[in-house]
Amino acid sequence: MRPETDYLTEPRQKPGTELSEAEAIERAKQGDADAFQVLYDKHKRRVYSLCLRMTANTAEAEDLAQEAFLQLYRKIGTFRGESAFSTWLHRLSVNVVLMHLRKKSLPVISLEEATQGSDEDSPKKDFGADDVALAGSIDRMQLQRAVNDLPPGYRTIFVLHDVEGYEHNEIAGLVGCSIGNSKSQLHKARMKLRDLLKMNRAEKAGKSRAG
Amino acid sequence: MNCVELQQSLAEVEDGSTPEQSTHLKTCPACSELLQELNLIVAGASELQASDEPSPRVWNSIEIALRQEGLIRPQPSAPPSDVPSFSARWGSARWLVPAAAMLLLLVGIYERRQQSVSVPVNDRSRQAASVVAPLVNPSGLNDEDFIQEVGANAPAMRSQYKENLRRVNDSIVDAQSAVNESPNDPEARRALMDAYHQKSMLFEMAMDQPMQ
Repeated sequence: MRPETDYLTEPRQKPGTELSEAEAIERAKQGDADAFQVLYDKHKRRVYSLCLRMTANTAEAEDLAQEAFLQLYRKIGTFRGESAFSTWLHRLSVNVVLMHLRKKSLPVISLEEATQGSDEDSPKKDFGADDVALAGSIDRMQLQRAVNDLPPGYRTIFVLHDVEGYEHNEIAGLVGCSIGNSKSQLHKARMKLRDLLKMNRAEKAGKSRAG
Repeated sequence: MNCVELQQSLAEVEDGSTPEQSTHLKTCPACSELLQELNLIVAGASELQASDEPSPRVWNSIEIALRQEGLIRPQPSAPPSDVPSFSARWGSARWLVPAAAMLLLLVGIYERRQQSVSVPVNDRSRQAASVVAPLVNPSGLNDEDFIQEVGANAPAMRSQYKENLRRVNDSIVDAQSAVNESPNDPEARRALMDAYHQKSMLFEMAMDQPMQ
């Protein structure tokens, strides 16, 4: 997984009274309410964003983030520090989301998508989308919308690999597929995202010409 | 290697660095552009990590669940204060406040049901908006009194409760707007009830909190 970034240091308490993560974990094991909230504040954005990316639904993402943190707090007494706390939490969160997707009978991974392109999933290339280049950088909001439009199977692999930084062997273990399947789906997901982004740009260009 | 083979090979070697890929990419502008665009997508994807903030509802629900499950335990507190605590001041009657809140909640529901039986559909929207209005002051304290009580007895917790109160009031306002817009939407009414319930839980938690 990708190394942790600065989001973990989001301040909540006054300077001089901040708990380190290790202190917060120990205090949370004793049932300290403040320690629970310190851990929540440090990790809420990443856990919630993961849930939101994988479900593309705000209400579901909030429920899943809540469930992930509750599971974390119920199990925190068993945390011995063999792995990084954040790794433990994010793995737990991924499992909560995957379990939810399985319960909803949404494909965590689709064999059809892995082996062949699905015509009905393919973006329609109206507006001359093939001619539009994705030059420069990609707007975050546009990319976010395009990820939301991916079929769930593609979305899962793309989020786990390109957003969350999991390796293919980790993804294979998490979702129960082969490494080759994970690689194949990731490539198809990126290709589909490219089509979606181009289509979006072509539509905008068409509207501005019409206006 | 042709364009189709190049595209397929990118699933395995995504940076186009094999000799076969490199040779093709040097002579094919379309595939070079494709690779460049896929790299842009990969670069943009990392910006989606930790990019969204959950609503305050999430922590409020977690905190309530933690308390209900007994995972949050009273901590060994600071030396006793000269000011009698909120709990001490209410003494054995302290349970009356959450009880009153729940009673008012039930009365609100009962009255609404009674009225909705005989009222034409067009008039229901006005009632729906006030379905749980009595719960605004479940303990007889207004918000300012509540914060002052908490502040007097547990100064360290004052800002925390003020922030939680602000959040829960925001939730009530949001939920109320939703009810006003869709008075007959059961989901919107449920959200409003939940928001008021969270407020009564907040009052209840303030009394359970060990005072400093």
